[in-house]
Formats: sequence, C-alpha cells, structure tokens
Amino acid sequence: MIFVAVGTQFPFDRLIKNVDQWLKTHPNETAFAQIAETDYQPKRMQWEQFMDAETYQQKIAQASVIVSHAGMGNIITACEQQIPIIVMNRQYQLGEHRNDHQADGLKWMSKLTGVYAAPSSKELFHYLAQYQSLERPQFSKNNRRDSLINFIETQL
Amino acid sequence: MSKKILAISSPGGHWIQLNKICDGLQQHQSHKIIYAVPAVRFKSKADKKHYNIIDVSADNKWKLLPCALQIFYILLKERPDTIISTGAAPGVLAMFLAKVLRINTIWVDSIANVKQISRSGRMIKKHVNVFLTQWQDLEDDIAQHQGAIL
Repeated sequence: MIFVAVGTQFPFDRLIKNVDQWLKTHPNETAFAQIAETDYQPKRMQWEQFMDAETYQQKIAQASVIVSHAGMGNIITACEQQIPIIVMNRQYQLGEHRNDHQADGLKWMSKLTGVYAAPSSKELFHYLAQYQSLERPQFSKNNRRDSLINFIETQL
Repeated sequence: MSKKILAISSPGGHWIQLNKICDGLQQHQSHKIIYAVPAVRFKSKADKKHYNIIDVSADNKWKLLPCALQIFYILLKERPDTIISTGAAPGVLAMFLAKVLRINTIWVDSIANVKQISRSGRMIKKHVNVFLTQWQDLEDDIAQHQGAIL
C-alpha cells in the first residue's frame, strides 16, 4: 500500500492530484491518503482529512512506501519505521506555504538513506514507478540519536 | 541524577525534535520534564506538564516582550535545573533569561539547519552552556556535534 500524507497545517492539492493521476495508469496499486483541507477529492484512493495517532500508526505499518510533504514528522516516522519515503516540497510560489522552507527541507532530508526528493511530478512518478525497489532508511536506535541523548544526559 | 528540565521550542519541526530528545532522556531515568510551546494544533499527552506560550518569531518583535514575561514566570515558578531548546525564538528568550537566573542551558540546533547554524542559534550561541549541532561539518569552537535525532 502507498500511504500519502500532507500533514495537518495546509492543503496540498498538487501532491494529491499527482498521486491520483499516477494511480490512473497503475490500476493495480492501492493507496491511502491523509489530505487535510485539500479541496481536490481523490478518485482512485481512500482518504481521510485527518487521522488520530493510532490510525496513522496503523496505516504506516501497512505501507510499503510513504509519499509525503516535506514535514519533519513524517520523515522521522519513515526513518524510525524504515519505510522508504518520497518527499515533495510545498512551494511558496505556488501558494502552497507561507515561505519556501520546505525546499530547504529537501536538501537535508535527501541526505538520508531511504528518503527520495521529488520537487516535481517528474521525480514523483519516477520514484513511484520503482517504489518496491527503493532503499529503506537505515535508522538504528543505537546510533546517532543515542549518542546525542547520552551526551545531553551528561550535561544536565 | 534525576533533574528538573524545561523543554521549550516553537511548534512544528522544532517541537517534534524536542520531544524525541526528551523521550530519549526519560528512557534513561525519570527526570521531571516541563514543556513550553505555542499550542498550534497539537495534542499534548496527558502525562506531560505543558505551558502554553505566545507564538513568537524574531519577525514579530512586539510579541517578544509578553512571551519573555511568560517564560520568566515559568522559570521562577518551576526553577528548572536545565533548559533544553531546539529553537527558535522562544528558546532564545528562555536562554537569555536563564543566563540571568544562572540556570544551565543546552541548545540543540535543528537538524533542518544543514548549511549553517540557524539564525536563532547564532543569536544565542555565546550565551548557552552547551551548544550542539546535528551536522558534523557545522562544528566550530563553540558548536559541537555529538549525534543527531536521525
């Protein structure tokens, strides 16, 4: 299952429309979308505007790939659960956000293994076409986060 | 040793990172952690003590003073041993006040700041006890890299 999530702050018509469009040419794929206050209603996938933490975790557990806005929450979840994630940034110029910080987001996010940057539909379709062979994030709890927290513990 | 910690940040990505750090600290031992964040569409878990503060950024200076007063009140009331922040403006305010009150401060610059230390981080850098960056190549004589949340 492809899990699509745009966060809770803003709608993201472009991302939802693009995935819906891709599904048109890939009728055997199933997707579920969290769309917030997006005007466009998906035709080829099930959707919710918002979901509680439990449903969110449930959908994540079923997902083979996540398609997301460039938000911190979904990136962290994808890395922790080691599910490949394709990230599209909201663009200020298209009126999708108050500023262009999600474009900067793509720069650091795509440094992480298993995180794929899709600034436009071209990259999105490219990665969706091969989503089953995308690399998984290599997040290990005994790794960078533990060193950070162990160090902070010594400085309290 | 168990400590009393004030964890303070802006909402969104800063807040998510701050929670990951605090949840990690809690797993080591039970510190008393108090949270302060502008509440913008998020649900605070019932087991977390939480102060709602005014949403400020360096761009709306007229809100800085009331927010600083709120934080000052929280600091006097709670008397934390340490303040931890991931940014942005609320963390800067808290750490300037902490300096006056001689409270230990730990700044963890957001993982989103990959090319240079954040604007808020640069403002507070010389005034905190510990300054951490989540990217190795941003280390300098003050900012140290000890790991990252991802």
